[in-house]
Order: sequence, then C-alpha cells, then structure tokens
Amino acid sequence: MIQFQNVHKWFKTLHVLNDVNLHVKQGEVVVVCGPSGSGKSTLIRTINKLEPINEGHLTVDGMDLLSKKTDLNRLRAEVGFVFQQFNLYPHLSVLSNITLAPTKIRKTPKKEAEEQAMQLLERVGLAMKRDAYPTQLSGGQQQRVAIARALAMKPRIMLFDEPTSALDPEMIGEVLQVMQDLAKTGMTMVVVTHEMGFAREVADRVVFMDHGVILEEAQPEEFFLNPQHDRAKQFLKQLLSPMH
Amino acid sequence: MDLDFQVILDNFTYFMIGRYPNGPLGGLGLTMYLAVVSCILSFFGGLILGLLSLSRYAVIRYPVNLFINTIRGLPLLMVIFWMYFLLPALMGKTVPESQTVIMGLTVFTSAYMSQIVRAGIMGVPKGQTEAAISTGLKGWQTMLYIILPQGMRNMIPSFVNQFVSLIKDTSLAFIVGVSELTHVGTQVNNRTMSYPTEIFIFIAAVYFVLCFAFTSFSRWLEQRLAWRKSI
Repeated sequence: MIQFQNVHKWFKTLHVLNDVNLHVKQGEVVVVCGPSGSGKSTLIRTINKLEPINEGHLTVDGMDLLSKKTDLNRLRAEVGFVFQQFNLYPHLSVLSNITLAPTKIRKTPKKEAEEQAMQLLERVGLAMKRDAYPTQLSGGQQQRVAIARALAMKPRIMLFDEPTSALDPEMIGEVLQVMQDLAKTGMTMVVVTHEMGFAREVADRVVFMDHGVILEEAQPEEFFLNPQHDRAKQFLKQLLSPMH
Repeated sequence: MDLDFQVILDNFTYFMIGRYPNGPLGGLGLTMYLAVVSCILSFFGGLILGLLSLSRYAVIRYPVNLFINTIRGLPLLMVIFWMYFLLPALMGKTVPESQTVIMGLTVFTSAYMSQIVRAGIMGVPKGQTEAAISTGLKGWQTMLYIILPQGMRNMIPSFVNQFVSLIKDTSLAFIVGVSELTHVGTQVNNRTMSYPTEIFIFIAAVYFVLCFAFTSFSRWLEQRLAWRKSI
C-alpha cells in the first residue's frame, strides 16, 4: 500500500530522512515513534506529499509520488490526514467542515454528503455538535471532528501526525478510542504517536526512528519487551519514567 | 475676526450636489460617487493584484510586484496626471474627467489594497492550507473556500481605512477640473470673494465628519470581528 525505497530528504543541509525503507501493507496499522526531531513527522508528511522527497522511490496506493503524471489531488483525496493541531476550518460549522471536500471534489449531492457526515459524526460520538463551530468545541472534540472530516473522503489510507499531543490528558482517551475503532474496520493506518498503550494494543508493527534513520521495526510486544537498539531502549525508558 | 456662515447656507445645495439634477452631479455627492466607485473597483483590483503577487510562478509574481511597487512609489497626483494624458491617447477619444479620476484612484488604491489582501492571506495559518489540500482540494478551491473567507475577516477593517483615504484623495480630482467638494468650494470662494475662511472651515468639517464616521466604523468592526474570533 505504501512503499518507501531508499528515501532521502534534506531540509537545506539537515538530513531529515536517511535511506528510509518501509513497506506498509493494506489493512496494517503502523505506529512510528522516536524522539522529537527524529524525522517521524516528516516521514508521515511525505506520504501525501505535504513534504516532497529528494531521493529514492515512494509509491502510495500504486501511485508513484515522484512521477509528474501522478495526480496529486487524487492521491490526497485517497489519503486522509489528521494533524496535531486539528486544523479545522474555523469559519465553517462542524457539518460544513466535513461536507466541504466530498461536495467539491467527489461532487456528492449536498443532502447525501450531509447524511454521510452525520453517520461519521455519530461514529465519533459528536452528532449533537453538527451546527457548532470549531472554537466552541474542546480539543478532543475538535480532533474527533477532524478524523470525521478526513474519513468523509472515504480514504484508503489514514495518516495521523501526533493526533493526541496537543490534547489535555483527559481527552486523549476519546480520540484514541475512535482510532482504535477505525483500526478494527481494517483501515490502513500510519500513526505517529507517543501513546505506547495505543501502540501496544492496536499496532501491527512499531517503527522506531532517530536522526532520520529507521533504527528498529518490530511487533509491538517484541519492541516493548526486548528493544534491540540502545537508543530505542533509552527512548522507552524515558517515556516510561520521564523523571529519570 | 467675524465669521459669517450665511454664505454656506446660501450655497448649501451647491456644496452638496452641485447643479444636479439640472446639471452634472457635483460637490459632496460627486466626492462620494468618486470614492464609492473607485473603492468598489479597487477592491477587485486589489484582490486580483494581491492574489497574483502571491502566485507561485515567478513570471507572474515579478511583473505584478514591479507594477505594485511602482505605483506605490508615485504620488497620487502623478498617477491622475498620467491617466489624464494617457487614457485619451490609449482610447483614441476624449474621456470625461471624472472617469479619468476614477481610473487614477482605482489604479493607485488597488496597489495599496493588494498589500492588504496579501497580508490578510498570509495571516491565515499554514495548517489551514495543509488541511484543505490534504482532503484533495485544488489550489484555487483552497483559496476560495478556506483561505479567502478567513483572510477577508482580517482585511475588512483595513479596507474601510483605505476607503477613508480614498474619500480624502478625491480632493485631488480638483486638479483636472472635476467639480467635487473641494473644487466646488473654490468656485464659491471665487464667486463670493470675501468668505474664504468660512468656506474652507465648512469644507474641512464635511471631510472630517465623513472620515471620522468611517474610521469609527472601522474601529468598531475591528473589535467586533476580534470578539467573534475568540468565542
């Protein structure tokens, strides 16, 4: 579904992705973790070309991201993206946030798009907020709406870039729950997160990155119980007991 | 010094609308006409120039910015003169002075409006564009449905301020003989000879009241829009 082959990316002189090889299969949930500045956000942002890569090959759902023939808008319509800062449209109601893309791109009739949006809102438990504006919602609610907005395009892949990092602790659970439900439906997901509980329960595979390099790739159990790389060990130790 | 404002009362209608409806519109009426028409035209002019100046293509961006910066580097009077001599030559026929002035004001104000548009667009967080294109929206759709509606809110108070400048700038139409408020003032002054102080106090007061009203409106808008943003 997603295939990185010897991918490199530089920000000026900074080597942010260094020879990345990664294959995400259909229906797989992959969690990417690593210290800040490790390149994990950049990695996920290359998948829908919010960041272009400089070298190597990257194919997503059969589309070659380096080919000029690839219709970027079509690719992005197939790939849902959820941001750390939600990025809901503040001037539109919750319902309009969700129906905008389907009506403008898929040309779904307004009524049908609204029915689908309501189904999605029910799925994320926010049907009663259909007419609210984003600023009237809590962070957790905003992020759930953002997930519904991404799902409205019926994507084949969902990308999550630290979806709970901007949330108050008591709201993290509700968002993770929605993501877990989504994983159960067989959605292909790549999730950048520090939520190790989520990784353990939901992920098929955990990828550990540092300094733009994938250092470790393992089943969650294996990664948490028996990390191979020193930096992975250190990272897990700090994550579990930040005071030391 | 004794002031006698009888001259204002005697010529009040003339100050307000010139010889209208028996002749062409003049005075304050013409001032407002020039300001409103130029304002509407330069709104669109500014929008187009502003969008073009942010184009990702350098072949579009550079000439547009050159044009904007050239206009911004010229006095308005010069632009009006240019229009006065250039427009008839370009169109091969005489152009009414008031249209010359509207063109001059529009070109001049569009250049300034474009900077307001530009700042308004750039003031919308980058995450909004990323979110929009991530759902598959095309560049122009993102601009139309996501960026402009939000940017417009930042722009509105500045637009009103620009309109206030426009009202004052219309007095330069005087130079090519358009009988707007200032011109009418000099006409009455030349005719009556002995009341320049009264006449120009009145003219100044009219400009002030008008501009002050719109400036207050702009401040009110600014607060109101800021408040709505924060709920």
